[in-house]
Amino acid sequence: MTLHAICDRTDSPPRSDGRGVLAVKRRDAVTVLDRVRTSGALKLLFPGGRDPFEAVMINTSGGLTGGDRQDLKVSVGANARMSLTTQAAERVYRAEVGHARVTSRLTVGEGARLDWLPQELILFDGSALDRHLTCDLAKGASLLFVEPLVFGRRLMGETLRRVALSDRVEIRRAGRPLYRDTIRFQGDFQTHIARTAIGQGAGAMASVVYAAPDAAAQVDHIQRGLPAHAGVSLLGDDCLVARILAEDSYLLRRTLIPVLERLGGASLPKSWSL
Amino acid sequence: MATVARIPMNMGRRRMTTEFLTLAQWLSPAYPLGSFAYSHGLETAVAERWVTDADSLRDWLSEVLDHGSGRSDAIWLRLGHAAPDAAGLVALDAEARAFAASSERITESARQGAAFAQVTGAVSGQDMPAVQFPLIVGFAAARQGITPTPAAALYLQSLVTNLTSAAQRLMPLGQTAAQTIVADLHPLCLRIADETAGNTIDDIGSTAFLSDIASLRHATLEPRIFQT
Repeated sequence: MTLHAICDRTDSPPRSDGRGVLAVKRRDAVTVLDRVRTSGALKLLFPGGRDPFEAVMINTSGGLTGGDRQDLKVSVGANARMSLTTQAAERVYRAEVGHARVTSRLTVGEGARLDWLPQELILFDGSALDRHLTCDLAKGASLLFVEPLVFGRRLMGETLRRVALSDRVEIRRAGRPLYRDTIRFQGDFQTHIARTAIGQGAGAMASVVYAAPDAAAQVDHIQRGLPAHAGVSLLGDDCLVARILAEDSYLLRRTLIPVLERLGGASLPKSWSL
Repeated sequence: MATVARIPMNMGRRRMTTEFLTLAQWLSPAYPLGSFAYSHGLETAVAERWVTDADSLRDWLSEVLDHGSGRSDAIWLRLGHAAPDAAGLVALDAEARAFAASSERITESARQGAAFAQVTGAVSGQDMPAVQFPLIVGFAAARQGITPTPAAALYLQSLVTNLTSAAQRLMPLGQTAAQTIVADLHPLCLRIADETAGNTIDDIGSTAFLSDIASLRHATLEPRIFQT
């Protein structure tokens, strides 16, 4: 621990700093680890024996709060294939000071595929999160991406009266913008999400992006399985986007899993099985 | 409410004539952009009975303005206004398309933007690239010496006017109720136009999730009378 970090701890709550670098590559017919390094509260597990290569992220600090940092770099080499998930839902606790900052930088090489399938991120009342994900796809690279968000613990009667959220996603192909989304909100989220054009009281939401050569062919099938508070469309020729709102995280999963099964096929991690 | 008075006062009498008349021309329903064909997902919202009367329509529109494409479009308009040249504008167009909530959102903005570029370019004798609608309005305004804040305010009002007219074709809504909604949303249009001053591409974003979902679902809505 650096002197700076020790000094910080004297006047603010304990904070965690998790960092990880993960690179995989194709060797013969399979994807293998190329490089892995983690520090602090971020750990990576490789269940093994799974095809495609699977990695599981663990935040050993048990959740995120103000001042926490998490930084992950992932690289999938040409023609390799990896799916990445989390061991459990991530919780963002009330922040006494500052924001939790989470950055993910993903690169997917030519002919490679990444399935980015974290489990739910649960926002607690008073949480403050600044999350930024960038993904650079090479020409001919594929990506399946989902980020499920849960707005408080409904079963415990929790409401999100105070939230500071900045959640940015930038996906590029060969340097050109393919998909961008920013969710930024500060204040009484419970009142906000109740509004008619916002969420009509939804308790959970997910964004799905599928950038792949067969994206256009998947739209109709997925559309047919969606409830009224969810929709799917095509941005450009090879980028499917879906947005799903649900009453709670269970109903969100019930809608999401068939979508991910369709788009992820055999590669869906166990954490995303019903 | 200070912003309500400030915009016209800052412009002075002479500039007001040119700026306001040009903007009123561009953003009037008579400008041949075909805007009447686009409901911005409102047709889905009416079909789902999320919007049923004047009150729910006012709520829907104010949320779309404040938390969805209204505010984002005002920022795009400002970015288009600040674009140094056509190449810069085309680069912004790629970003704007990536930010779009659905394929229909890209289509409605691209078609109105192309029509605007074609007509305005021909009238002014200037070269106007076909890009997303708010970008070309901002770009054209800059070329005519029009400041971005009134352009953004009138752009937002034209969005409200267009969607209110669309609502009149989708559900029972009288002329007076429709025009009352447009008038009620004047302060919000002015506030957003003012608040977006100095915003960058990092300020683009939406929490109007169901408005975006309504747009996603529109492509398969049956029956439908609007293109979006």
